[in-house]
Amino acid sequence: MIQKLDLALEKIAFSILSICLFGMLFLTLFNIVARWFGESFLWVDPLVRHMVFLSAFMGGVMATGKGNHIKLDIVSRALESLNKKNAKKAVDAIGSIAAIVACYFLFMAGKDFAVVELEYGREAFLGIHSGWLVSIIPFGFAFIALRFITVTLKNFLKDV
Amino acid sequence: MGAIGYSIIGLLAALGTPIFVVMSLFAMLAFYFAEVEISAVAIEIYRLAQAPTLLTIPLFTFAGYLLAESKSPQRLLKLAEAFLGWLPGGVAIVSLCVCAFFTAFTGASGVTIIALGGLIYPMLLKEQYSEKFSLGLITTSGSLGLLFPPSLPIILYGIVAKVDINELFIAGIIPGTLLVLILAGWSVYNGKGSGSTRIPFSFSNAKLAMKNARYELPLPFIILGGIYGGFITVTEAAAITAFYTLIMVVVLYKDIKIKDDLPNIVKDSMTLVGAILLILACALGLTNYLVDEEVPMKILEAMKQLIQNKWMFLLCLNIFLLIVGSLMDIFSAIIVVVPLILPIAQQFDVHPIHLAIIFLTNLEIGYITPPVGINLFISSFRFEKSVLSIYKASAPYLFLLLGALMLITYVPWLSLAWV
Repeated sequence: MIQKLDLALEKIAFSILSICLFGMLFLTLFNIVARWFGESFLWVDPLVRHMVFLSAFMGGVMATGKGNHIKLDIVSRALESLNKKNAKKAVDAIGSIAAIVACYFLFMAGKDFAVVELEYGREAFLGIHSGWLVSIIPFGFAFIALRFITVTLKNFLKDV
Repeated sequence: MGAIGYSIIGLLAALGTPIFVVMSLFAMLAFYFAEVEISAVAIEIYRLAQAPTLLTIPLFTFAGYLLAESKSPQRLLKLAEAFLGWLPGGVAIVSLCVCAFFTAFTGASGVTIIALGGLIYPMLLKEQYSEKFSLGLITTSGSLGLLFPPSLPIILYGIVAKVDINELFIAGIIPGTLLVLILAGWSVYNGKGSGSTRIPFSFSNAKLAMKNARYELPLPFIILGGIYGGFITVTEAAAITAFYTLIMVVVLYKDIKIKDDLPNIVKDSMTLVGAILLILACALGLTNYLVDEEVPMKILEAMKQLIQNKWMFLLCLNIFLLIVGSLMDIFSAIIVVVPLILPIAQQFDVHPIHLAIIFLTNLEIGYITPPVGINLFISSFRFEKSVLSIYKASAPYLFLLLGALMLITYVPWLSLAWV
């Protein structure tokens, strides 16, 4: 069950990432070509910037799955070289729990910001309200937190 | 109460909690104690979506990973060998140049050692270079092209320090070349004694190598010519480079299969991008708090008691950054340390471009600085050698690069000649 949920999260994140990557690439090229013909589409730039923003979170979901977030892994590496597997697992679990807690608070902070923006914000581009764009933050952190939960549970169940 | 909270976060960082988590916890705690709503952290994070040059990070990284996963390393090695193989130490120089090219594209993320190490290491041993020399060369080369465009750390530095990326790209060329030349000199010195064979220059060989690498050759011209010719912006250069590389490796060379290889390349490159951008996003709140609290100015006041002039400041800066570079990865170091250093350096009248080059050179050297320079561990893992043997192999290179760092620090012209 956990395995399936984790795989589903990975697939969703990868699909969004692929759409964002090729979207930013081809939209930027489209804008360059349009410029040659004296055309300019003002919505391309903010759309692409928000695609990069969304990619940051989806890349974070992938990094969580692979366990390769950037970190100071001196202790973890030392424990690995000393063959202290259980101590290393405990240290990794502490890191994951801290990440889940941090992502929860970041989700709440993002949600509060998005609620305010949905009420007082305005249309940003292509009819998209700025509140929806800000909602990338709570969505992104909720997604990362969920991935940390599934990965931690998966590792825990593997050891039991 | 605050001290306990910050100590726990410090402990979490030491235990290997992801840096983006550490940064965000730190920022949220700081805002909480300053009685500011924590939604302010989210507002700071959203500032990332307003950065115009941010797009260059995913696109250049994607292009770098495409190149690393294709057969470009082999083609470029053949090309460099055809042109430089006649020199004493030619094969080692070829390795240095190709590694520098790949590091510039992949941002010294360890990809160079992983992707090129397997090709270069046996080649150097076959040429009768010692194991120690070969291991040291590959370990050092893993971060050698960091000062050349379109290196990811340069772009990140430009975004964080709000310095023109175009100027940074051009400022890194002379210092970057100096580092390559110094290591090339060391290779020539070692090549003479190793009994390595020299490949005489032949026009037919060079022509064939150029023909084989004909699609890679325009890449530097697209980036540099496009930007400095005023035809395209850095962001557009990133899009054109990524598109050109994609067409090159998928359609023209057919090295990469769309179904079998491309999904993994997207995954790997974007995972790195996500990991970097998340740190950048979460650090925005923290750095804003530090600036609001005038932390850099407080550090400056304390420093002024001990340091009176620019040159003394630069020496202390080098020592500090070498320690930072050997403990932290380059991306977190740029994001965390640059906002603290920048106002202090301004007070000591250090040119922002010169500071950038000093900063990046230090971090480049930090990759091979014991005890925890990351290249040392990547090499140890890649070549199945003890970390201690990699320390020993990299030591001569470390001293050579430290000499170059002194030149770059105390001769600002090297960084500012073309700015």
